[in-house]
Amino acid sequence: MSSMGLKIVVCIKQVPVSNNLKIDPITKNLIRSGESGIMNPFDKNAIEAALRLKDKWGGEITLLSMGPPDFEMTLRQGLAMGCDDAILLSSRQFGGADTLATGYVLSQAIKELGDVDLVLFGRQSVDADTSQVGPIVSEFLDWPQITFVSDLHSYSKQAMTATRLLENMQQKIEFQLPAVVTVRSEMNEPRYPTPRNIQQSYKKDIRIWDEKSFQVDPNRIGLKGSPTVVRSVWAPEKEAKATKFLKGTADEAIRELLIQLRANNLL
Amino acid sequence: MTNQEIWVYAEKHLGIIQPVTYQLITKANAIANGKKVVVILFEATDNNLEDTIKEYGPDEIVVVKDDRLKDAADSEIAFLMAELASRRQPNSILFGATVVGRSIAPRLQAKLNTGLTSDCLNLSFDGDLLVQTKPSYGDNIMCEIICPDHRPQMASVRPNTFESIKVSNKSVMVTEVIDLPFKVADRIKIMEETPLLSKSDSIASADRVIALGRGAVDDNVIAMAEELARKLGSKIGVTRPLTDHPKFSGDDQIGQSGNTIAPKLLINLGIHGAVQYTTGIENAELVISVDKDPEAPIFKHSDYSYVGDSADFLKGFLKVVQ
Repeated sequence: MSSMGLKIVVCIKQVPVSNNLKIDPITKNLIRSGESGIMNPFDKNAIEAALRLKDKWGGEITLLSMGPPDFEMTLRQGLAMGCDDAILLSSRQFGGADTLATGYVLSQAIKELGDVDLVLFGRQSVDADTSQVGPIVSEFLDWPQITFVSDLHSYSKQAMTATRLLENMQQKIEFQLPAVVTVRSEMNEPRYPTPRNIQQSYKKDIRIWDEKSFQVDPNRIGLKGSPTVVRSVWAPEKEAKATKFLKGTADEAIRELLIQLRANNLL
Repeated sequence: MTNQEIWVYAEKHLGIIQPVTYQLITKANAIANGKKVVVILFEATDNNLEDTIKEYGPDEIVVVKDDRLKDAADSEIAFLMAELASRRQPNSILFGATVVGRSIAPRLQAKLNTGLTSDCLNLSFDGDLLVQTKPSYGDNIMCEIICPDHRPQMASVRPNTFESIKVSNKSVMVTEVIDLPFKVADRIKIMEETPLLSKSDSIASADRVIALGRGAVDDNVIAMAEELARKLGSKIGVTRPLTDHPKFSGDDQIGQSGNTIAPKLLINLGIHGAVQYTTGIENAELVISVDKDPEAPIFKHSDYSYVGDSADFLKGFLKVVQ
């Protein structure tokens, strides 16, 4: 544990601008039509949580991401929000990783950084929607995990309380650092980058780490380290319902609707 | 092949088994083809949740009773699951894609060094291979994912994707395991668990839902919708933009990153019908939608459509239902 302030890592991901992707009917590949990416929206909440902790306790925030070189854009955006430092884990050897291989590489990088107090993630990515990587990293670090957190209070640099929202209940959880926390959007309103921070972000270096920069088992990274295989991909035909348009005024439409609702025993 | 096991993790909140557990048992029974369906249940010593689980007819319930399991940490559950898995070597392990399932399953996956597919919409077996159908990119893309060389095969399944069906006259073996080591997570403690009343669980399991979108944000529209909801005995859900309204929260949200609902009757008011929303209503039976835009995509997901104002529609509706 660092003596001065909190050493926080925020893991972020770049996702496509829109989810309206198409599949090439012949090659079955995703057509990305050269569109650029944006930061996964939930990751901004994780960054905001980190910035507030830094405001309170001091310390430093390192952004960590794994992906191709153009992920720099998203890291730059996080720096502009006020983070101190960014590392992009980028190498062909890391390519084709599923959640397990991704979590492994991230956890090894966090171990390499050393003395990290807290690792934050967004609750899930909006493209693959897995929410797996945070817990996988926690397991590899052998740290407590507090997932889907809507509220975080730090009453010391060593211990915090969190509210975790489940489908029909909430838990109040106390935990000690180091720990992994995944953040719901309910937790905060992410700040916008200030002009000064945007300007400063361009002065900050983004470090690029490949498989030689830190210790990784070559059998646990990339395609080789990924147990899951995508057997096929398709765009589901969404069958449109044969809708019946109700005509006339609202009262006339309701009258027609009531007949149908009664016929279906819904009234 | 006969000795292979499909495991279902029994999820409980505040001492109640969650519906997704029963849905998973029913689905596992349907695709088992000779494999054994085994429910893994962790409970406090004064619980007997195996009695209700039995009604859904798994082949076996493996139960671990320990008072520390009343409010165990994710890592403690994952540790116990890993111990059991190393003893019995299941073919596959299924979880609900709930907050708990999405938290324990990946932790267990990392312990077992195997594959996990989150948020599946379908499962089937191709021999011993679990074929997992998962949406991606906001349900615009579907992927079939397999885990060919690692065992167990792990998947979490979106709640309310499958039906749950009770099975009568099936003898269910209950095996209590008493010699599992318990690795206490001493740096994390659940201090308190409180139920969230009304909220998402009731939307997800409600028979009738009135859903409000950007075109139904006026206070008087919300008030009329609440009155109609009381009269029809329905719950109110919202699209993502309305989660910022002081009356609603993320728990009331329908759609991707919100709730998947499956009501018998759904009334959409002022909802245009982005795919992020319609994803959550695919299992609704009778769908009625009101929107001002005749081209609104919501109408493609509706049985009855009305182009017009939500306030007028509600006014008319309230006049005729008592």
